[in-house]
Amino acid sequence: MTTTETETTTTPTIQKGFAGQSVPRKEDRRLVEGQGVFFDDVKRHGMGYLHFVRSPYPHARILSIDVAPALELPGVYGTLTGDEVAILTDPFFQIAAEPGGSMKDYALAVGKVRYVGEPVAAVVAETRELARDAAELVLVDYEPLDVVVDARRALDDDAPVLHEECGGNLTYEGVWEWGDVDQAFAEADHVVKISELHFDRFNSTPLELDGALAEYNRGTGQWTITTNNQFPGFAVIMMAPAMRVGTDKLRFVTQDIGGGFGNKITSHPQLVACCLLARKLNRPVQWTEWRTDFHQSMSHGNERWFLDTEVAVKADGTMTGFRTKALDDAGAYLRYEPLGGVIWSQVAAGMYGWRNIRLEFTQVVTNKAPCSPNRGYSRMQHLWFTERLADIVAQELGFDRVEVRKKNYVQPGQMPYETPNGCVYDSGDYPAALDLVLELIGYDTVEERRAEAASRGKLLGFGIGSTLDSGTNNFGQSQLINPDLQFSGNNEVATVKLDIFGEIVVTLGTTPQGQSHETTAAQVVADILGCDVDIVHVRAGHDSYWNSHAGFSGTYASQFAVTGLGAVKGATDMLADQMKTLASMVFQCPKEAIELADGFARIADNHEAALPFMALGAIPNANNAGFPVDPPPMNARFVYRPPFEVPDKERKFGNLTLTYSMQIHACVLEVDPETGVYELVDYAAVDDCGVRINPKIVEGQVMGATAHAIGAAMFESFTYDDEGNLLTPNFYDYHVPHTLDMPPLRTSAVESPSPFTPLGTKGMGEGGGGGIHAISAALQDALRAAGGAIVTDSHNPYHRVFEMLTHPDEARAKVEVSNR
Amino acid sequence: MKLEGTKEFEAPREVVWSVINDPSKMAKTMPGVESFEIADDTHWSAKVKVPLGLGGLKMSIAFTKLEERPLEFASLNAKGQGVGALMNMTTSFTLSGEGEKTSMAWEADVKIAGPVGSMGQRVLQPIINQQVGNVLAALDTEVQAEKADAGG
Repeated sequence: MTTTETETTTTPTIQKGFAGQSVPRKEDRRLVEGQGVFFDDVKRHGMGYLHFVRSPYPHARILSIDVAPALELPGVYGTLTGDEVAILTDPFFQIAAEPGGSMKDYALAVGKVRYVGEPVAAVVAETRELARDAAELVLVDYEPLDVVVDARRALDDDAPVLHEECGGNLTYEGVWEWGDVDQAFAEADHVVKISELHFDRFNSTPLELDGALAEYNRGTGQWTITTNNQFPGFAVIMMAPAMRVGTDKLRFVTQDIGGGFGNKITSHPQLVACCLLARKLNRPVQWTEWRTDFHQSMSHGNERWFLDTEVAVKADGTMTGFRTKALDDAGAYLRYEPLGGVIWSQVAAGMYGWRNIRLEFTQVVTNKAPCSPNRGYSRMQHLWFTERLADIVAQELGFDRVEVRKKNYVQPGQMPYETPNGCVYDSGDYPAALDLVLELIGYDTVEERRAEAASRGKLLGFGIGSTLDSGTNNFGQSQLINPDLQFSGNNEVATVKLDIFGEIVVTLGTTPQGQSHETTAAQVVADILGCDVDIVHVRAGHDSYWNSHAGFSGTYASQFAVTGLGAVKGATDMLADQMKTLASMVFQCPKEAIELADGFARIADNHEAALPFMALGAIPNANNAGFPVDPPPMNARFVYRPPFEVPDKERKFGNLTLTYSMQIHACVLEVDPETGVYELVDYAAVDDCGVRINPKIVEGQVMGATAHAIGAAMFESFTYDDEGNLLTPNFYDYHVPHTLDMPPLRTSAVESPSPFTPLGTKGMGEGGGGGIHAISAALQDALRAAGGAIVTDSHNPYHRVFEMLTHPDEARAKVEVSNR
Repeated sequence: MKLEGTKEFEAPREVVWSVINDPSKMAKTMPGVESFEIADDTHWSAKVKVPLGLGGLKMSIAFTKLEERPLEFASLNAKGQGVGALMNMTTSFTLSGEGEKTSMAWEADVKIAGPVGSMGQRVLQPIINQQVGNVLAALDTEVQAEKADAGG
C-alpha cells in the first residue's frame, strides 16, 4: 500500500501550536508494548466466566429450558434463564412510538426466540471453556415457527409476526416531504425511474469483541461494570429502569477499547444478564463474546430497500427532486432503532442541491440479528442511494458524471447552506474537492487506461463516491419519530486541573475506542496553556464514578472533535483564567497583563516576573495562607452544549446536526468479463473535516473507514437463507479486507473550518461509505461495455458481477426513463 | 424446508400401511440408524449417524405419532438433537390406490438449525434430497419383503 498526502489548506482560523501537527499518539506506547488494559485484562478473585446459550432457530417458541444437566457439571457456578429475567427486570425502554413502542425486549429471550444466536440462557463456570461446555448441556425445547427474512414480505398478511404485542411487523412509518415535489416532477424534462435499490446488511469488525466484568457490591447495592460499551450514557438509561435501580447504582469503567464503530452501543441486554448473575451468584462475572456470537447477534448495520424511486431532471442535467419509498430492515429487535429511521434525514439531500424531496420511510422487524449504529449509521445507506441516483441519471440521460456532480453539488458560495429540511451544511467546497480527488487518481488518463486494460481483455471502470459525515447530532431529532421523547440537544464534559507539582490533569466524559482522544485533547490544552503536551496528562479511559460526564457522554456519531474538544477547550479556558488571576494576585498586577507561555504564568512585558506552573499548583493546594481572598482552585469543569433548537415536529424541519465533514472517494477497478472477478487497481480519497487537530490521526481514520467500505462493497455480507440461517457467521464466510486486499491508496485533505464550532473542527471518521458508492459507480462504468447493467445493490461480490455480465437486461429492467 | 413427493408401490395398501406404521420396520429405512427404542405406541426414539458428506452427524431423534387414519393417513413429528445441529421435522403420508397398487403422497417440513443449519438451504437441499431418495428406496424394499412374508 502506498500513500502520499497532498495538503490543501484554506483559511485556518485558530492559532496553531501543537494543534494541526501530527504529534505522536500518547496512547501508542502502552498499546505497542502490550500494556493496554482492555476489559478482558481485568480479573478478580473467584470470578466466574459467562457463556450464553443461544438459539439455533430463527423463530421458535421456547417450550422448556432444563439447566440441571449443566449445573451438575463440577465447576459450574450457576445459570440464568429468560423466565428469571422476566421476573427480575422490566422490558427495556423503547425509543419508538407505537407500534414499535409496544415491543417487549429483555436481556434474555422470554417465551420465544426471534433470530439465530439470540441468548436464551446463560451459564457461569470456573473457566470460560467450562462455561461453554456446560452451555451445551442446557436442554432447550423449541417449537419452530415460520420465519420472515425478507423485509419486503414482512408486512404481508400471511407473514409470521415476531412481536405479537406490536400487532404486526411494522415498527415505524412516516412521510418525510419538503419542497414542492409534484411541481418539480411536473416541470421536469426527464424522469428517471428506478424500481428497486438495495443496501446490504453488514457491520464493521472490531478487533476486540464485546464483553464485561460485572461486580456487585451487596453493601451498597451497586454494580461496577468494566466494559467496552462505547456509550455508557445510553446503556445506563436503558439498564437502570429495566433493573429497577437508579442510574447511580451502575458504575461504568473502561480504559482501552479495541474498536467500536457504533456496534458496541447496544450491548446493554448482555450487560444486564452479567449484572443479574453477579448478584445471584455473589461473585464477579466476566463475559467475553466469541466471534461467531458477534456475527450472529451483535448489531448488524441496517439493511435498506429503496422502492419506486423517481428523479426529476431538467434538460441541462439539474436534478430538482426525488421521491422514493425506503424500507428499513431493523432485524428482530429495535434496541437503538428506529433512530435509523430519522438519522438519514441529516443528509436528506446528500451533497446536492435538491429542494424537493419525498421519502416514505417504513421500518419492519425480521428474523435476523438486531441492528444498531454502524459506522456511517443510516446516513451511509441514504448517501449510497443519492450517489446511485447521480450516476444512474448521468448514464441514462447521457450526462458526464463529473459535470452532473459539479452542477448539482451545493456550491461553496451557498455555505452555510440550509437544506430543504432545515439542516445547515456549515462549510466546504465540494467541486474543488472533486477536482482534487480527480487529480489524485489521474482522471485525465482514465480513457487511456481503459483502452490498455481492454487490450488485456479486462473491463476498466472508474467511479466517484461523494459522501457527507454529519457529526454532533441534535438528539431533538428523536422527537421526529416519537414526539413524547424528552431528548434534545447534545453535550459533553471535560475537567482540567493544575495539580500540586504543576501537572495538568484532564478527564473526559468520552469512551474512546482508538480515536486518540488523549493525544488531541492534550494538544488543545497545551496550546491554550502555553506548555508542552508532555505535561498534559489526559486520564486514560472513563470511570463514571470519577470522570465528570453528561447525559450524552460517550464516543459515537462523529463528534469528539466538536463536543469533546469543545469541552476541553472550555475547561482549559477557565483554568487559564484561574491561573492568570492567581498570578495577578501574586504579582499585584491586572490579570490582563499576564500571559501563559513556556510553562509559566508571567507578566507579558516583563518575563522576569514569572511563576512556574508548579508554583501556581502549589499555592491553592499547599501554600495558601495569607491570601486576602481565596485563591482560584486551579480546577475547572466545562459542559459544552452545541447551539441547537428543538426541530419542528410537524414539518420534520430543523438543524439535526452541527457539522458536515465531507469525503470524496474515487476508484479505478478492472473486471474479468469471463468470471466477474474484479480488482481495485487505483484509489483516492479526499477528506474535509474542517480544522484538523492531528492530521495523521485524521488520515488514519480515512484509511480505516475506506477499508470498511471496501469490505462492505466487495466481501462483507450478513447473508441469510430463506429459513433464517445466517450463512456468514464467522471469518470463514465473512471476509474482512486485510492488507493485501487494499488497493494503492492516495489521500488528501482540505480544511474548511466550521463556523459553528469552538475550534473550527468537524466530527469525522464515518465518511468511508464513499468507498461503497465509488465501487458501485466504477462497476457500473466497467459494465457499460458489456451490456450496460445498472448496479442496484451496495454489495457486489464477484458472483453478482458475473450475474450482471451474463444477464445485463435483468439489472437494466429496473430502470426506466421518460422524457417530456 | 418443505419437501413433498409421491411414491408408487407394487403392493396392497394394507401392506404399505403395516410398514409405515411399524417403527422397527421404518427404522430400517432410515440412514445411519445405530440404535432404536420403542417407548409406547406413539413414541419411539433412535440414535442415528446422518451422512452429511462432511462426516457423520450424530443425532438423537425422538419420534411422536401425531395422527393416524388407518390405511389412509399418518403423520408424525421427529425432533433431533446433536452436536452442531437441531432438527425438527413434521411428516405425513397419505395412501391411495386399489388392489396391488398403492400410491403414497408424502410431505415433510424439515427445519435444521445450529451450525449445520448455517450451511444453508442451498447446501443442505441436495444432501436431503439424496437421503430422501435412499429412504424411499429402502421403504420399497421393506414393503416388498412384507408383501413376500404375507404370502403376496
